[in-house]
Amino acid sequence: MTLLDIAIPSAPGRVTWNREAIGFVAGFLLLALLPLVLGDSYSRHVLIMIFIYAIVASNWDLSLGYGGVFNFGHLALFGIGVYVYSLLAKVAGIDPWIALLASGVTSTLAAVLVTIPILRLKGIYIILVTFGFAQLVMQVIISQSDLTGGTQGLVRVPGLYLFDHNMIRDGKLAYFYIALALLVASTLFLRLFVRSRAGASIVALRDNEEYAISRGVSLVRQRMVTLAASAFFTGIAGAFYAAYQRNASIDVFGMSLATIILSMVLLGGTSTIYGAIIASFVLTVFSEAMADFGAWRPMITALLIIVIMLVYPSGLVGMIRAAWALVTERIKRPA
Amino acid sequence: MSVFSDIFFGGLFQGSLYAMMAVGLALVWTTIGVFNFSHGVFMMLGAYFAWQLVAFGLPVVIAFPLAVIVMAGAGWILQASVVRPLIGRPNIVLVVVITTLAAGSLIENGALTVWGPRSKQLPSLIEGNTTIAGVGVSLHQIAIIVITPLVLAALWSFLNRTRLGLALRAVAQNEDASQLVGLNVTALYGLAFAIAASLAGLAGIFMGGYRFMNPSMGADPLLKALIVVVFGGISSISGPIFAAYLIGFFEAASNYYFGLYWTPALLFLVLIATLMVRPEGIFASRSRGLA
Repeated sequence: MTLLDIAIPSAPGRVTWNREAIGFVAGFLLLALLPLVLGDSYSRHVLIMIFIYAIVASNWDLSLGYGGVFNFGHLALFGIGVYVYSLLAKVAGIDPWIALLASGVTSTLAAVLVTIPILRLKGIYIILVTFGFAQLVMQVIISQSDLTGGTQGLVRVPGLYLFDHNMIRDGKLAYFYIALALLVASTLFLRLFVRSRAGASIVALRDNEEYAISRGVSLVRQRMVTLAASAFFTGIAGAFYAAYQRNASIDVFGMSLATIILSMVLLGGTSTIYGAIIASFVLTVFSEAMADFGAWRPMITALLIIVIMLVYPSGLVGMIRAAWALVTERIKRPA
Repeated sequence: MSVFSDIFFGGLFQGSLYAMMAVGLALVWTTIGVFNFSHGVFMMLGAYFAWQLVAFGLPVVIAFPLAVIVMAGAGWILQASVVRPLIGRPNIVLVVVITTLAAGSLIENGALTVWGPRSKQLPSLIEGNTTIAGVGVSLHQIAIIVITPLVLAALWSFLNRTRLGLALRAVAQNEDASQLVGLNVTALYGLAFAIAASLAGLAGIFMGGYRFMNPSMGADPLLKALIVVVFGGISSISGPIFAAYLIGFFEAASNYYFGLYWTPALLFLVLIATLMVRPEGIFASRSRGLA
């Protein structure tokens, strides 16, 4: 294995804490100020969807990129969030915020459950089992149609509330800030995790399993921690998605959503967290810009994904790094 | 007795289709070491090519084989465009999953644009119905049950009895050594994909003869083929074939006793349980390592 070129970009402590914190705060402040410029509810809707995708994609990057665990059931964790929230808030009548939290917890438990069969497996077998897990969850939801609405889905799912604020007539401002807050919390959590000792140990397991185990890293515990950590905010994002859309549909388990989110992870460049977030902006805006193309839109998106995967294997972040290196080179040595 | 023959016949029929699909997946996996997620789309494409050729006025005996040959070309092209450039990259398994998924989406939406969403149907291989052991069946289904083992036997003897087939298996076992003895590894990769695509296309033609076709018809068979290869062991050709028939029978019996809704869930439970006990598949030899 080419250990060097995989390990270095994600090695903990490469960019100093202060520098990253400044970039983090500046980046998210910029996002928080966006509604001042974008007043219409359509562009706010697009941004909310970007934030949801960014949470799901960046959490996937934790298990897929850092952990090297090919978890193809990640969207099932999102779907579990959607359905747990909808069932709790609508059928059981529980307070939406508590239901939101419960969704995150349930997804985490589901992730722990799916870790058990993949503990002994590697590579393609993990893809197949987790893929099977996602299908299993979907089939169970479809077969319990009197509770979950089956393939019809659930409608009139209760939305979130903030004190007495009117969530519907504010041009989606409240939902925008809740989504942004979730993205900030998720990103903060992910970055803290990957820069911690636990983060270093899962990278060590990915790059050299035998050596990491011989140095006392527990494969079983760390794999479980990785998947559980990647599940919590994914489940919350699912719950938020259901609350925002006011419905739950079986489509979240479909291949097309999984393809889009996975391409965000890979397009951004794995093992960066930020890459997945940037890629979800790029892909969603790109896809919205092509709304007029109709049937051609998914084809152009698919073609774009293939071309980028062939030309830039390290993704958008790799592209940005290369460009940055070029710029700093020019500044240091003026031609 | 009718229940038993119902299940037996249904299992045999579904098993034939699954075997046809799964063998292609396993062939590509053993030779190149990647998983082709556009395999289901190949199936759809084969059925639509055949439909188009029939619509041009060609007789079925010419149109169907021609469609299978065209599919071989399509498989080769796909391999050359989205798989071959990635060979040698450290994360090839993952990247090929995403490129083949994207290619599948591209082809599926392309088919939707070209042929439209309206359901179509292919002519049957043989028209008419008959009754065997108290079960009414169409001759089309009988033809599938008979033709599939013949095709699979032909594939088996190709892989085991001809130089080209042995070369393909040699590449599967050791790529570097194959290159050293002068095998054209790139061409053999293309060949594996071409054969897989042809088999998928043939399965699509079979399916189009008794069910309505639409551009997303390949998604479900792909899923079943995935279960089959996991269940039967991915590193051989014969394992998935046995597993395909076994799963066909399981599905037919489960449909009868537990109902249509619970069958997929049960199937996936069996799959996950199998992988926990025997990750290499129930028909695979224990000696092969997992990668």
